Amino acid sequence: MNWLMNNLPYVGQLSALHLLQSIIPVIAGTLISIPIARLAVGRRRDGRSTAGHTAGSAFKRGAVVNTAALLYTIPSLALFVLMPLVLGTSITSPLNVYVALTIYVVAMMVRSAVDAFESVSPVTLESATAMGYKPVRRFWAVELPLAVPVMLAGLRVALVSNISMVSVGAVIGIQSLGTLFTDGLRRNLPAEIIVGIVGTVVLALILDRLLALIGAWLTRWRKA
Amino acid sequence: MKDTDVLDSPNAIEFKSVTKKYGDVVAVDNLNLSIPRGKITVFVGPSGCGKTTSLRMINRMVEHTSGEILVNGEPNTAQEPHKLRRSMGYVLQQAGLMPHRTIVDNIATVPRLNGTSAKSARTEALQLMETVGLDTSLAKRYPAQLSGGQAQRVGVARALASNSSILLMDEPFSAVDPVVRQDLQKELLRLQSELQRTIIFVTHDIDEAVLLGDYVAVFAVGGRLAQFGTPEEILREPADDFVASFVGRDRGMRRLTFAGASDVKIHPLTSQHTPWQQWELKVEDGKPAGWIIDGRTIPGGSLFVEGGTLRDALDSVLSSPSGVGVAVDRNGKVLGLLKSEDVLAATEAERHRRYGVNA
Ligand SMILES: Nc1ncnc2c1ncn2[C@@H]1O[C@H](COP(=O)(O)OP(=O)(O)O)[C@@H](O)[C@H]1O
Ligand SMILES: [Mg+2]
Repeated sequence: MNWLMNNLPYVGQLSALHLLQSIIPVIAGTLISIPIARLAVGRRRDGRSTAGHTAGSAFKRGAVVNTAALLYTIPSLALFVLMPLVLGTSITSPLNVYVALTIYVVAMMVRSAVDAFESVSPVTLESATAMGYKPVRRFWAVELPLAVPVMLAGLRVALVSNISMVSVGAVIGIQSLGTLFTDGLRRNLPAEIIVGIVGTVVLALILDRLLALIGAWLTRWRKA
Repeated sequence: MKDTDVLDSPNAIEFKSVTKKYGDVVAVDNLNLSIPRGKITVFVGPSGCGKTTSLRMINRMVEHTSGEILVNGEPNTAQEPHKLRRSMGYVLQQAGLMPHRTIVDNIATVPRLNGTSAKSARTEALQLMETVGLDTSLAKRYPAQLSGGQAQRVGVARALASNSSILLMDEPFSAVDPVVRQDLQKELLRLQSELQRTIIFVTHDIDEAVLLGDYVAVFAVGGRLAQFGTPEEILREPADDFVASFVGRDRGMRRLTFAGASDVKIHPLTSQHTPWQQWELKVEDGKPAGWIIDGRTIPGGSLFVEGGTLRDALDSVLSSPSGVGVAVDRNGKVLGLLKSEDVLAATEAERHRRYGVNA
């Protein structure tokens, strides 16, 4: 407790850094995943045909989803170390974390965005077309809002796992709440380590709650 | 083409040698059909005979393979599909409402697409809710909070928005339970008597077709139009064996739907010394409440409501435990009793009148 009181501004600063490194990749990764997933799903079947996909579209969907899943198997530390080589950044640049974690978010979100678009009722889409929606407007006004509930489940997982992965960056010297683990370990300060752990958990809980609330508001139409 | 010509032309929609093929499958085979303006035309036939495909070719949800479809005298390919679609309402079996929009916003969809301001589109939507018999207190609800029957009414209201003169309805009532279906059917007829839109209504149920249609188009397997005419013409003179068998065994019963029952005598309740004497009609507040025999009360059959058809009269007799039909006025108060021999005599008279013979 004492340690925390004495280092409050420092912990605050690290929390802010941690927050940025968690949120920005989630936003960027989601924005990248949505168009990839939508293209992978392809032209939606109309409401009456029983075949879900043509052979070609099933292949495209499988290829995209599996490639994304493969990205996820790269160890995070390896990705952080690799980034400077690819991006030409310095090893301690936060940009490494942003880009690496964005890749992870894409790996997770493509799958749930594909599921999300497939969860939208073809009858609803078709009736939107029958009323005179043009394709682009139909996407923004009907398809995307209706995909939100399923997408949101994936988003919560991505955000929470991102918050824990940000800490790994501390090992190579990128500042976040994870720095409290490495620093506390080096200086043999259990209090610092505990603050790091509790801080990360609290951050995850708060952000997850917040996302759940935003989600509930966006999908208020679902409660019967 | 000038507007006046459009209004003069009696046909809202014309199919001219229209064929639709899916690969080798002929879904609609050389369809020639004129759909009169301001009337209900029903497409009826067994499953898979091209009714839905024919309907969807009108608003280009399905593009035809050959031939021409005229809407208000102009080929439907003359304007962009989304504009064509906004000019006609479309109601599907599963309402197809937007789950993320409130009821009022669902109904306002097409006016909003056409650029009407949110405020006036909502005002129109609220009026339409009343038109289709929906309580406006439902306006702010979401579709998930409605019953199947209410959702279908919203679907109809949405199709009526923007003053579309053409309504396409694909089995709109087949997913709701029979009681609600009857309500919706009556409501549609009431609406139509006020609004006089051109309605094309798809069903596989010949009873529904006969009830709702000013005209009926019977489709046969292979996407062939087997017969087009008024319901009466189709029941009286089926064009071929297919139509005759589709129209079915209950043909005679259905035909009675077109005959009034004014000839059938309504016997006063007091004359209880006739064949029904051991049965006593139980009456509560002037309304029938079953039949009493040997001290037991047995639920009554269907009631014949004053002004009903000969079919209603026959059914009231056949369904009554006493074998005697009960006639009521529009408020449900007992008027008297119907005897089976009177009803049968009336069907005989109807048959003679129909064929202009005396034996
Ligand atoms: N999208 C489609 N692809 C292939 N065949 C279809 C498609 N839609 C309809 N068909 C076929 O066209 C025929 C007519 O179908 P449809 O118009 O739905 O009949 P109905 O509405 O009378 O039941 C059926 O044989 C059906 O299998
Ligand atoms: Mg059909």
